[in-house]
Amino acid sequence: MTETIELALKTLEAQLNQPLETALEACARCGICAEACHYYRAEPKVEHIPAYRAEQLRNVYRYEHDFISRLFPVWTRAKKLDETTLANLTEIAFSQCTLCRRCTVNCPLGVDTPLMMRAIRAMATAGGTAPEILVMLADAAIEKGNDPSFYKEMFLEQIADMEKQLRDITGDENATIPVEKQGAKILYVPLAGAHTILPPAVVFNAAKEDWTLSIFEASNYGVFLADVNRAKQVAKRIVDEANRLGVEEIVISECGHAYSCYRWDVPNWFAGQFDFKVRSLIEVLAGYISDGKIKVDPTGIPGSVTYHDSCNLARNGGLLEEPRYVLKSIVRDFREMTPNKAEALCCGGGGGIVALAEYAERRIAAGKPKADQIKSTGARTVVAACENCRLQIGDLNEHYNLNIHVTALTDLVVQAMRLPKPLPGMEAEHLFEGEQVEAPR
Amino acid sequence: MTETPKLTLDFKGLLCPMPVVKIAQAIKQVQVGELIEAIATDPGVMADIPAWARSTGHELVTLEKQDKIFKFVVKRLK
Repeated sequence: MTETIELALKTLEAQLNQPLETALEACARCGICAEACHYYRAEPKVEHIPAYRAEQLRNVYRYEHDFISRLFPVWTRAKKLDETTLANLTEIAFSQCTLCRRCTVNCPLGVDTPLMMRAIRAMATAGGTAPEILVMLADAAIEKGNDPSFYKEMFLEQIADMEKQLRDITGDENATIPVEKQGAKILYVPLAGAHTILPPAVVFNAAKEDWTLSIFEASNYGVFLADVNRAKQVAKRIVDEANRLGVEEIVISECGHAYSCYRWDVPNWFAGQFDFKVRSLIEVLAGYISDGKIKVDPTGIPGSVTYHDSCNLARNGGLLEEPRYVLKSIVRDFREMTPNKAEALCCGGGGGIVALAEYAERRIAAGKPKADQIKSTGARTVVAACENCRLQIGDLNEHYNLNIHVTALTDLVVQAMRLPKPLPGMEAEHLFEGEQVEAPR
Repeated sequence: MTETPKLTLDFKGLLCPMPVVKIAQAIKQVQVGELIEAIATDPGVMADIPAWARSTGHELVTLEKQDKIFKFVVKRLK
């Protein structure tokens, strides 16, 4: 047995707990999961049935855990794990499943196929067959945490530039972007880049929130690798900052996997060191609007708008009504996709696949059902509260000629705040280009 | 004498982590010791590119901001 296979099998064994064993044992092979999967809907073939994908791991599990299967593997289609099988499993888990869990909620037995795909991802990561880009992105994030001094000065310069922009947009000379503010109520954790800092900064300042940034971002590629060790190292940066600054609450940027990670995983990983409320920025926006902390024009967004439910935020995070409350507070013509909310179709960009160029063609093909959904709403603006979803829908827009504008929820809220200047790229003539709309009143 | 980059890349408009993803792909297209020059507009590269270079063992030769453009040069070391 090679070291790769030994490590992969050891990782499988280490992960075997009741939920995973149940998933590995419980499938009735009814096939209902097929229609639930966007890969199958896009291209109906047996390899795209979630149960088929799961069966590839079950074959290995049976060989390792069932006496009869080990003696007579041909009877039960049991398979001894070898390099070829691991390569096949790796391909399945990273390129044919976005971990959206739509199959799970539609399964009569609740079989958690994505949990099995995560188990494979962890095996692949341990065995060294996981996509190197994801490993590299996770390691780069860990490196940033190990020694932030090599970029902190540049980060602060960038924030100072953004603060000037913020004052220009809001017309408020006192608007600030605090960094590492001791004792702030909220630690807001953005993604890398200005686009997830500037719009929330506008909102936090308008709401007169006591908030701060740290120098770390929310993305966690360790999660996509299902590598708990790496994921914990990346998350620890935020946990340590929250403790050091003494904040009450952590607010996560519009990002599906990061919200899921900090809302559900981190409190377990850091039990005893993590006594913080975790909310998505979406919940904060809804709260500010309902409490009147920010003023928005109810007719501020004159064009047709639809909302894409990110799987991590909606189906797996329960954030179903908050984004709709926000949108209905600012949009004149809001159109739902069908199905939506917990039954929403994945856009095809989840699970880290948007970073994997080798699977781009597969990703765009799997996004066809989402492209069709968007097209049937006739909406010209698509709001997605997740960076990966926005990247994917942007690519779908280009590939399927959807002629849409893809935006974050916060950006649209800022647009409806009717400030002296718009955010960069959010000028009304750009946002509603080519659409017959009434001018905002 | 200043070394000439083997590749010149334009990441304008790409948001993180895409510049890192693209540079990681591009580094395989040059030989050890050769340079890649790139420009980007996402300020996230100011942290992400140095971190990528450190964690992968390549050299970040320069990284500078010119107005709203971030320009960097990396050298393949292995």
